[in-house]
Amino acid sequence: MAPHQDTLFRSADMSLTQLYIANEIGREVVSALGELGVMDFRDLNESTSAFQRTFTQEIRRLDNIERQLRYFHAQMDKASIPMRSIYEFDDANTLAATSASEIDELGDRSQSLENRVSSLNESYETLKKREVELTEWRWVLREAGGFFDRARGQTDEIRQSIDNDDAPLLRDVEQHAPQEETERSFSVMNIGFVAGVIPRERIAAFERILWRTLRGNLYMNQSEISEPIINPENNEEINKNVFVIFAHGKEIIAKIRKISESLGADLYSVDENSDLRRDQIHEVNTRLDDLKSVLRNTKQTLDAELTAIGRSLAAWMVIIKKEKSVYQTLNKFSYDQARKTLIAEAWCPTSSLGLIKSTLQDVNDRAGLSVPTIVNQIKTSKTPPTYVKTNKFTLAFQTIIDAYGTAKYQEVNPGLPTIITFPFLFAVMFGDFGHGCIMTLAAVAMIYWERPLSRGKQDELFAMAFYGRYIMLMMGIFSMYTGLIYCDAFSKELAIFPSMWEWPEDFQPGEMIVATRKKGYTYPFGMDWKWHDTDNDLLFSNSYKMKLSILMGWAHMTFSLCWSFVNARHFKSPIDIWGNFLPGMIFFQSIFGYLVFAIIYKWSVDWYAVGKSPPGLLNMLIYMFLQPGDVGDTPLYNGQGTVQVILLLLAVICVPILLFLKPLYLRREHNKARALGYRGIGETARVSAHDDDDEDGTLNGNRESFADDEDGVALITQDIGAGEEHEEFEFSEEMIHQVIHTIEFCLNCVSHTASYLRLWALSLAHQQLSIVLWDMTLNIAFGMSGVVGIIATVCLFYLWFVLTVFVLCIMEGTSAMLHSLRLHWVEAMSKHFIGDGIPFEPFSFKVLLEEEPVE
Amino acid sequence: MANGWSLIIGLVFIIVFSAVAWFVSPKGENQTVWRSSLILSAWSCFIMWAITFLAQWHPLIEPRRNDLRAHAG
Repeated sequence: MAPHQDTLFRSADMSLTQLYIANEIGREVVSALGELGVMDFRDLNESTSAFQRTFTQEIRRLDNIERQLRYFHAQMDKASIPMRSIYEFDDANTLAATSASEIDELGDRSQSLENRVSSLNESYETLKKREVELTEWRWVLREAGGFFDRARGQTDEIRQSIDNDDAPLLRDVEQHAPQEETERSFSVMNIGFVAGVIPRERIAAFERILWRTLRGNLYMNQSEISEPIINPENNEEINKNVFVIFAHGKEIIAKIRKISESLGADLYSVDENSDLRRDQIHEVNTRLDDLKSVLRNTKQTLDAELTAIGRSLAAWMVIIKKEKSVYQTLNKFSYDQARKTLIAEAWCPTSSLGLIKSTLQDVNDRAGLSVPTIVNQIKTSKTPPTYVKTNKFTLAFQTIIDAYGTAKYQEVNPGLPTIITFPFLFAVMFGDFGHGCIMTLAAVAMIYWERPLSRGKQDELFAMAFYGRYIMLMMGIFSMYTGLIYCDAFSKELAIFPSMWEWPEDFQPGEMIVATRKKGYTYPFGMDWKWHDTDNDLLFSNSYKMKLSILMGWAHMTFSLCWSFVNARHFKSPIDIWGNFLPGMIFFQSIFGYLVFAIIYKWSVDWYAVGKSPPGLLNMLIYMFLQPGDVGDTPLYNGQGTVQVILLLLAVICVPILLFLKPLYLRREHNKARALGYRGIGETARVSAHDDDDEDGTLNGNRESFADDEDGVALITQDIGAGEEHEEFEFSEEMIHQVIHTIEFCLNCVSHTASYLRLWALSLAHQQLSIVLWDMTLNIAFGMSGVVGIIATVCLFYLWFVLTVFVLCIMEGTSAMLHSLRLHWVEAMSKHFIGDGIPFEPFSFKVLLEEEPVE
Repeated sequence: MANGWSLIIGLVFIIVFSAVAWFVSPKGENQTVWRSSLILSAWSCFIMWAITFLAQWHPLIEPRRNDLRAHAG
């Protein structure tokens, strides 16, 4: 078979390949294949747990390095040092470690860096703690001075309040001050004190506890610290209070200490002598200054270190991520102890085989190894994964299909026609030239600024729109076209060509006037603009749009049904053509194809010119079933009754054919095969050069097999019957399956055709909504005059524009899109899509980095 | 100017366009996408236009309104 290009039309040809890789260059080979990104490696050690695999040790080591890199990243975030973006590296796409030693080096480097950063961090935190303590101490010293001065003046009072239980707790201070002997020391009086700092929110509890435990035998002073204290451990700000408690007796002092410490207060020593206290303050201040400069230095060193790391951190992260995935892939390989080779199996597109071979040759040459890496194509009965190559334009369209299901290997990929039909059906519902323009402009802007936008942070909604920017572009362009056809631009008419209607020359204002048609002239493109704002506008456009949606739906469904023919041809199963496609097509066409014919025929006859009254098509369709052969008083054409009877009979005959032909044929084939001596083999043998006995279990996976029938290479597969049958043939199952299919198909013909009426409903709703919006905003403004009119016009214009964008473009657009999506998934794809494929997931660094981006 | 022949002319035009699109589509790996998209969009647009044209070819009703001022139409 001639090599053909892989297209979007169906999955690329896939081959299962086997690689024999010398153990020494395993890492390099896999790394090179990861850059290529075309191989989907099979796991050959499924029975082995993750811990027992060959390269677990390496993965652990890389995990550790990754953790260290994340630690750096966290530290940089904390210090708000920016990381150099991955996009700023010139060789961002080719970043990779060329040798294992480079990885070792990177590992050592990150280890030493981690030690350094963490020790710097530790000392920074210790210093910071020290600083906080000193600051608090300074506050205590400062505030305590005031307390002492006040307390000294009241030593008697304190004594009294402590000694005498009956003493009033509050006393007018002014009355008793000044005392005669102010210089009496506290120690002389046997009064001790405790000074410290406590979080403000605990102060109330603190006071209460002290009061209760000491039964009031204390004198407490406190004041708020005006600035919040920062906790170095978590960078939180805490408001604190300074307190000094005077009490009598050593034990009580000890008790107070214990209570305050248990409540989280920090106690500081304060001297009662004011001179000593002044010295203390002085000392604390100098120490604080020293500490601050040390802190600044430490911080600077740490920042410098982190900045240096930040310059290459992104690259390191990429390298480690790639390296880890390489070892994870290597873990899927099996290792041949005797020959010291790694054996891998992978699916890859047949067209990439040459590229793979040359890449492997390059790796071999670079390593200077005499043993070549062997690439073997093996024949298998396993179903290959489905791989549709996309580009940035087709990707989003293909995603629409893949969201519904992965196409069966090599069946027609609905993603190809979807590129046009999806935006077009959307546009039929969204048809408005103005709104289409807005959508197109938005899409063009997103495509123009593709690069910067894809790198920036995106919120969820915008990311979705950005992902579908090419869909939006197509939707916008087609909406402009359908807008022209509907003759709507922001609900206003577009008078491109001279109208086919003329209003009468003279009439009274308010009089009902009827337009007359210009002789022999039909409006050449789209709807005539004179229909706008007429009384019977809706009457006309409803009839037109309803028929339009039936015709569109018919065309779309017929188109989709034809793909089932192409599929049957490709899979070489003629029974699907004779037993499914043909009767289905005849059934569909004899009812709905006929309806389409009737619609077009009715349009093309000038009923008034021939002097007949136009027949109603709805009644015609109903009576076609209720009274076959009877067409009533207003026939569409001569011999209509006979034609309808024949069509109806055709449709009826198709049902049993659809029901029985395929199961009966399959049974006959099955019996014939048995008569010839074939038994249901059910299993397929595969010769794998990889001689591992316990592998057999995994070979006959539970996938449905697919016979590759296009090469001359020995096919070591034993297939029976229709090629896709490996299970025991069961007539009843096949019959049930076909009955379901038949019932579904016949009912769906009706319900799906009706479903396309949503095209009419949504386009009507869209048009009416934009008319209402115009009437409620700008039209009001245009009715005003003078300055008020100008202001109203400006304000209402903004209102109108914002509502147009948000309600008519975004909201209505989303709804039309969802409806178009449904028409594709349900109405169209049910006609041909088999879709039990397995997605192709190649081992690719590009995909890996897209899934887990490094910033 | 525009009568039943427009449909035939339009149809011929679309067929010619499809044929031309088939052959001039840029070669390379996206040729299939080009061909399918050009031809499909041409036919979609044609069907849409043809339906609209047919609907107005022999209209069964005429526009009516009562809010027209003199000489506005």
